[in-house]
Amino acid sequence: MLTPAPLNRKRLLNTRGWTFLIVLAAIAVGVPYLNATGALPDYAVSLIGKYLCFALLAIALDLLWGYCGILSLGHGAFFALGGYAMGMHLMREIGDRGVYANPDLPDFMVFLNWQELPWFWWGFDLFWFAAVMALFVPGLLAFVFGWFAFRSRVTGVYLSIITQAMTYALMLAFFRNEMGFGGNNGLTDFKDVLGFDLQSQDTRIGLMVLSTLAVALGFLICRAVVISKAGKVIVGIRDSESRMRFLGYRVEGYKLFVFVLSAMLAGLAGALYTPQVGIINPGEFSPANSIEIVIWVAIGGRGTLVGAAIGAVLIAAAKTLLTGLYPEAWLFVLGGIFVFVTIFMPRGVLGAWDSMIDEMWHTRGMDPRERRLAA
Amino acid sequence: MQQDAAVQEKGKIMWTGDLRASALAAALGMGLAMTAVPTQAQEDTIKVGVLHSLSGTMAISETTLKDAMLMLIEQQNAKGGLLGKMLEPVVVDPASDWPLFAEKARELIEGEGVAATFGCWTSVSRKSVLPVFEELNSILFYPVQYEGEESQRNVFYTGAAPNQQAIPAVDYLKDQGVERWVLAGTDYVYPRTTNKILEQYLKDSGVAAEDIMINYTPFGHSDWQTIVGDIKAFGSAGKKTAVVSTINGDANVPFYKELANQGIEATDIPVVAFSVGEEELAGLDTGPLVGHLAAWNYFMSADTEANDEFIEAWHAFTGDEDRVTNDPMEAHYIGFNMWIKAVEMAGTTDADAVIDAMIGVSVPNLTGGYSAMMPNHHITKPVLIGEIQDDGQFETVYETAGLVPGDAWSDFLPDSKPLISDWRLPMNCGNFNTETGKCGSAM
Amino acid sequence: MVRVFRSLVIIAGLFQMMMLGPSYGQTSDEGTLRAEMARLAGADFDGIADVVTSLASIGDPEAAPLLRALRGGDIYWRKSDRLVVRAEKIPGRLLRLFDPLTGETLEDVKKRTIKKVKVNNTLRRSIDTALGTLTLRSPDRATRLDAAGQVFRNRDPATLPALDAALVDEADAQIAGIMRDARAAILLNDATADPAETRSAIERMVARGDPAARNILAGLDTRDPTLAAAAQDGIAAIDRSLRLWGYAQNIWQGLSLGSVLLLAAIGLAITFGVMGVINMAHGELVMIGAYTTFAVQEVIRASAPGLFDMSLFIAAPLAFLVAGLVGICIERGVVRFLYGRPLETLLATWGVSLILQQAVRSIFGPNNREVGNPSFMSGAFELGGLTITWNRLWIILFALAVFVFLLFVMKRTMLGLQMRAVTQNRAMAANMGIRTGWVDAMTFGLGAGIAGLAGVALSQIDNVSPNLGQSYIVDSFMVVVFGGAGNLWGALAGAFTLGIANKFLEPFSGAVLAKVLVLIFIILFIQKRPRGLFALKGRAVEG
Repeated sequence: MLTPAPLNRKRLLNTRGWTFLIVLAAIAVGVPYLNATGALPDYAVSLIGKYLCFALLAIALDLLWGYCGILSLGHGAFFALGGYAMGMHLMREIGDRGVYANPDLPDFMVFLNWQELPWFWWGFDLFWFAAVMALFVPGLLAFVFGWFAFRSRVTGVYLSIITQAMTYALMLAFFRNEMGFGGNNGLTDFKDVLGFDLQSQDTRIGLMVLSTLAVALGFLICRAVVISKAGKVIVGIRDSESRMRFLGYRVEGYKLFVFVLSAMLAGLAGALYTPQVGIINPGEFSPANSIEIVIWVAIGGRGTLVGAAIGAVLIAAAKTLLTGLYPEAWLFVLGGIFVFVTIFMPRGVLGAWDSMIDEMWHTRGMDPRERRLAA
Repeated sequence: MQQDAAVQEKGKIMWTGDLRASALAAALGMGLAMTAVPTQAQEDTIKVGVLHSLSGTMAISETTLKDAMLMLIEQQNAKGGLLGKMLEPVVVDPASDWPLFAEKARELIEGEGVAATFGCWTSVSRKSVLPVFEELNSILFYPVQYEGEESQRNVFYTGAAPNQQAIPAVDYLKDQGVERWVLAGTDYVYPRTTNKILEQYLKDSGVAAEDIMINYTPFGHSDWQTIVGDIKAFGSAGKKTAVVSTINGDANVPFYKELANQGIEATDIPVVAFSVGEEELAGLDTGPLVGHLAAWNYFMSADTEANDEFIEAWHAFTGDEDRVTNDPMEAHYIGFNMWIKAVEMAGTTDADAVIDAMIGVSVPNLTGGYSAMMPNHHITKPVLIGEIQDDGQFETVYETAGLVPGDAWSDFLPDSKPLISDWRLPMNCGNFNTETGKCGSAM
Repeated sequence: MVRVFRSLVIIAGLFQMMMLGPSYGQTSDEGTLRAEMARLAGADFDGIADVVTSLASIGDPEAAPLLRALRGGDIYWRKSDRLVVRAEKIPGRLLRLFDPLTGETLEDVKKRTIKKVKVNNTLRRSIDTALGTLTLRSPDRATRLDAAGQVFRNRDPATLPALDAALVDEADAQIAGIMRDARAAILLNDATADPAETRSAIERMVARGDPAARNILAGLDTRDPTLAAAAQDGIAAIDRSLRLWGYAQNIWQGLSLGSVLLLAAIGLAITFGVMGVINMAHGELVMIGAYTTFAVQEVIRASAPGLFDMSLFIAAPLAFLVAGLVGICIERGVVRFLYGRPLETLLATWGVSLILQQAVRSIFGPNNREVGNPSFMSGAFELGGLTITWNRLWIILFALAVFVFLLFVMKRTMLGLQMRAVTQNRAMAANMGIRTGWVDAMTFGLGAGIAGLAGVALSQIDNVSPNLGQSYIVDSFMVVVFGGAGNLWGALAGAFTLGIANKFLEPFSGAVLAKVLVLIFIILFIQKRPRGLFALKGRAVEG
């Protein structure tokens, strides 16, 4: 069965939430400091920024899966759409500094003989427009998709598989060069954002700090939803949809709300991701990427929000390390971790941690439930 | 082999030293326990980065290049290394994941302090790492045929530009009486650009628009029935027809299988491919494919002493008599030797000095001539057209009279026509516009 | 009418024979052949072409082995004395030399001492023409059939006399038919031909009605307006019939694509549909089947090359067993801890799939592996206007056979009964004495084994590489979900529907967009029927 998340979370921030925010603050302050003293190499800053984007994405999915029970195998699509929206702005920012010095068209359009900017690129030269689009487009897609899917009561594995179909279809579509999004190469070679040079370390630190803020914001929004009255309905839907329906709740509406919110947070993560890694391409839509997001959440601990973030950072960091350490064998290790965690830590790393703490309290003669209340 | 393992092992130990610590700390965002400072390359070795995918979709092509690099480095060390120091390969796996390429490039340069990097296969991976090499001022050798339209100060392009592969191949087919053309490719930037160039080139030489059919398929396309049927129908218009294929690696096997089964023989409709080499043919029964063509700058069948030695060394290194060699391997061979020579000339591995010393460096290639680095960071190469034989090898049926210099900016694309590239002073520019007299968008 | 035409042709042929003298099929003295052959040493393409033309004009069938070897790229010349020889690879990196005409063994040499006489496509074509001409009167039926086809394809006016001569003696109706087609094709290639003959040649091509005939008519170069009009009408008629055949071809290709989808998905219909395990390692089990085929072929190549055509029959049961065993290991090692947590099986099996991929990469290397087509699966045959490739036909039949086999296991065996019992009510089944653990393992093993069988078939049309499985996994899930999980008939209907839809869309939209449209269609379809085409009904559905 699904991991029971305690319902009696009244406060916006419990101990764990505070700890999480403090750690984020420590990163936002500590990383630039360590970088300045030279203890942390420059590239590690962007790396941390990237991990933070993944953390936000994982939190978004956890809200949907952990609390509402909807397993999306297509969350990478929302992330990528957000990333593309920002990437399109960054492409427009290049202006006439592209290799062909064409002030109106991005390079990839120039050498494929495009004559004018397609309509869907209009407006992306404005930062605010791109920023809105990074939230609006994923939100709209989620709304349309969810509107149909939830009304026709597509649930469970069927829903998961068609979200997978959605991201797969988008991937194939974005691979097409006729689409006008740069095909397989995607969007790259960005120069600056809002006048800040993307190659400079200061901008990178700025983006990294911005990412910590976004994670904190995303976490607080999700927390607020979870502890609200609606949050209880959502968890109710997760545990028994038909019961909630009988009780007179309009299940579709709640599900749609969570789905759209989650998609928009994913879009935000994508928008922060693109300038930090310097490229966005259709590979981000691949079904494998979306599965990886699910794995982050599962590894960290479903229905905990904080756990999702931890899972994302752990796995992404493990990938960074292992691809360097064991270039020939890292898939064995990563695959092994997935199998191990699913079997032996069904509630993820955070769940295992909780059990351990519970055990400790238990041996000291205190009822774990009491302790949780105390927290 | 033994030595190779030792070298690799050493590379791993270096990793554990500082990177694990920094990445772990990065991972947890704590950074507090951080004590490891990224050390520069140790004094007694010169590090060489190898940035090829060892897993994921591109592992199929790129793993061989990693092995080739390890062999070249081992050979160089056996000759006494470089500037009195041993070379040390640093192998990482960017896992066919394009953002990961940029991340790994950054690690290699900043974290490991490599003197030069040999890597990338797809255009997108190169585009992904370009800004990194530019920003950190390091050197990348890119060994694969590509669409051109690029010339960057920190990159040396040792694979073929379109004028070193596509255009001579089309010329050859025209000589053989072909009048009708199918341009079939995978839908990504290399085929798109190459086909744009070829389309213009064919039209310029008087081919009517209705005699050109262009078709794109997705990556890894495996059901070729319809397209092969279309090609067959297109070829039945009474004119000699040929297919120019820029179909990407993986999709070629089912494509050729379908061709063979539908009975399209090279004598009816020849297919000339730019992405099919010995390595790709190793996965195929080439009996029914005899006579289909490929255009490259090197074939394993090249009949020269240098090539025989190279193949022998390769077989000894891999311990497998059946391993084939291919064009991108030769490109690495050329690029690596050029780098060695340039470093020796400059007396240092410092990027600026080496980049300056590279231009004009000339080293033997494996087909019996010399390849030289030109001011636009592309090299001179012979162009060979080969026909597939039933043993999986190519037989050269045509060779350009002299060496063809790689052209970064195609003359058959309107916006690229006025651009030239020359990284020598005083121009020192990769996209100088001869019409406006400016470098790129410079004021 | 036909008979009159035929006798006319025969008379014309006889007449020409008398005019030209009986040179075709005659033996010449060996010295002439040897003199021509010697000119091959060191010749360039033009020089070789010259030799081929004169060998054809000598018209001695004795030259056929030489030409065949030349076409196969087996002709070399010895550097020491410029002797032209045929060479074959023998063990020990040596080449054995033979006399190209008599086949007599000469000596074994190193590769460096001889040089190859290279041929290119243009040369191959003229060799084919020459061989066609030389073997038109061969006593062997297959050779004659081949030769007639060759003459038809090359349409060289120079072969006309030989063709007419052969036509006189030809008793086999099929070969004679092709020879007459060839004759018509040659006449249409000859601007100086008699208009009446050209007209009847046009009619003959229209009657033939295939793309090759259209090709010939389209290439007709005539100044006679009535002939040109006749040719145009003929092309229009052929195009009309080809268009109709095109639909049939689409359906055929759709069935073929559908059979591939069915094979890939049907194992999943068991593990996912029946057991509810989201087995992300399914694609890798397919891959294991393909690699088993490769391994079997390697062993056969090394130890018993004669059995090569049987390789798939040996590989199929082995692939079933190997993939089935791996499946059972996965079930016992991983999946059994996760029953009741279907979504978590997704995560664990994803991990397993990464491990299997990398394992195959480590064992067999990252490159494509060569899996050959047995002879009965090579080539194609024409059925009306349809081109049907043997391998596709066999794969369709194989897919249906696997389907029937599975249906049989599920409906008619004890194991099938127990499987259905366990999936419908595990506790009750256990109470009835069914060893549910064992049944689970067997069910998963069956699904995995079927995936292995799919791998055998896919190895015939696709890459055999560590990425093989990845490219099919998403499609497989789409088929199962579209058809309705838990229903084998659903998988069948789903696979063929999607295959045919894809093939009808492809000509209009291109391959990429066709796939996108099919996916969108699936998404919309699921809205209408949330449980697929063939939905299970009843309480078991709510889970």
